[in-house]
Amino acid sequence: MRRTVSWIVLVLTALLLQSVVFGRLELAGAKPELIYLLAILSAYLEGPASGALTGFFGGMAQDFLLNQPKGITALTLTLVGYAVGSLRQYMPTPSPLLPVLLVAGATAVGVLFNGMFLYLIGRFDAGFAFLVRISVLSAVYNAILTPLAFPIVRWLIEGSRPRKVFRW
Amino acid sequence: MALARRTQRGTRLLVISLVMISLVTITLDYREGSSGPFESVGRGLFSIVAPMQDAVSRLFRPVGTFFSGLAHVGSLQAENRRLRAQLQESQTRGGQVTTLQQQLQQLEALIQIKDRLGLGSSIGANVIGSSVGNFHWTISIDRGSADGVGVDDPVIASAGLVGHVIEPITSCCATVQLIIDPGSAVAARLATSGDTGLIAGERNEPLQMQLVPTEVDVIAGEAVVTSGYQGGLYPPGIPIGTVSHVLNDPGSLSKVIQVRPAVDFSSLEFVLVVTGSQA
Repeated sequence: MRRTVSWIVLVLTALLLQSVVFGRLELAGAKPELIYLLAILSAYLEGPASGALTGFFGGMAQDFLLNQPKGITALTLTLVGYAVGSLRQYMPTPSPLLPVLLVAGATAVGVLFNGMFLYLIGRFDAGFAFLVRISVLSAVYNAILTPLAFPIVRWLIEGSRPRKVFRW
Repeated sequence: MALARRTQRGTRLLVISLVMISLVTITLDYREGSSGPFESVGRGLFSIVAPMQDAVSRLFRPVGTFFSGLAHVGSLQAENRRLRAQLQESQTRGGQVTTLQQQLQQLEALIQIKDRLGLGSSIGANVIGSSVGNFHWTISIDRGSADGVGVDDPVIASAGLVGHVIEPITSCCATVQLIIDPGSAVAARLATSGDTGLIAGERNEPLQMQLVPTEVDVIAGEAVVTSGYQGGLYPPGIPIGTVSHVLNDPGSLSKVIQVRPAVDFSSLEFVLVVTGSQA
């Protein structure tokens, strides 16, 4: 219960920060994708199931609370969370660069997928070159924010794990 | 080993279920459109989030303005010198008065443009948020249906045209589609020659004015305003921007003109919503 409430607060905070603060802090015309960041870090720390769930609910929250086309962000982040969580088990390196690179790569792929899906349903007409540019810039922006977000997400996950009980 | 396989199968089933739910949601939202249940739910949830955006916006406005200034450091240097002279004078009255004065100047500029254009009933609004994603160019304002704001109401800033109101609108807040959105189209007129065309949004690039006959003489720096035809969205005469570049294609039947927007969409704080009947 406490973990659920913590995640709800974190997702809501991310959405508010993205729409209010980061709405003015664009990187060459691109905004960060904070919900993507949360889903990817969740997948990195806890595996594919957690990543997929965080991505699904985070994406649905973004789509419904901020009135975007419903379901597309949820679909994108479910797949991104699952993919990152599945790939993570094949990357045992403890390098601190790994989460940054993973966030950058997964964000770029996720934004590309999102844009192409929007194009398929006729809700995107800004051009493929623009889509590629935005996906790269969002990825860079998310990568820059990863060192700030990683400790917060890890603290949240580790704090919500049930403590081991030893019965003698 | 068997446990690991069962866990993997369980995870795959979970992901497939979530993907199916997402696809059903996408399909229902696409088919039902603005009259569907999801739109009503979205509107309801937006009415919960919008006041939070308003509160966070007031809290973070100084922080956001500081970092936004860093991104525009080149153009701010000259402005900085002028403001330093002003600041010395107002420092004796306290920092709070300086902030109030700047806000008052912006509001006075809004009233001036409203009087100059002869706009009817209108209401001022604060910008409380911008679009979350990278593929939508919208802002949220703290006025809604309870204040008389309706869909398609034009929205202007002190410098010129901002956009028009779109769904969702709640009693307290509304969403505004900016003219830089690729889905936006504004009937426009060249202020000097009077020739008309259509302004299309180009995201963060200069606007493009299309359907201008090739024989029309266009000069750089010429003002572009709304044409305000009968039944259109926008009243006539609202500044849209200035001509920055003319693209001549010998084989084309019309010119394409690049227009630098009059409004700085990255630093919108106060806007005016023109309520009631338009052009």
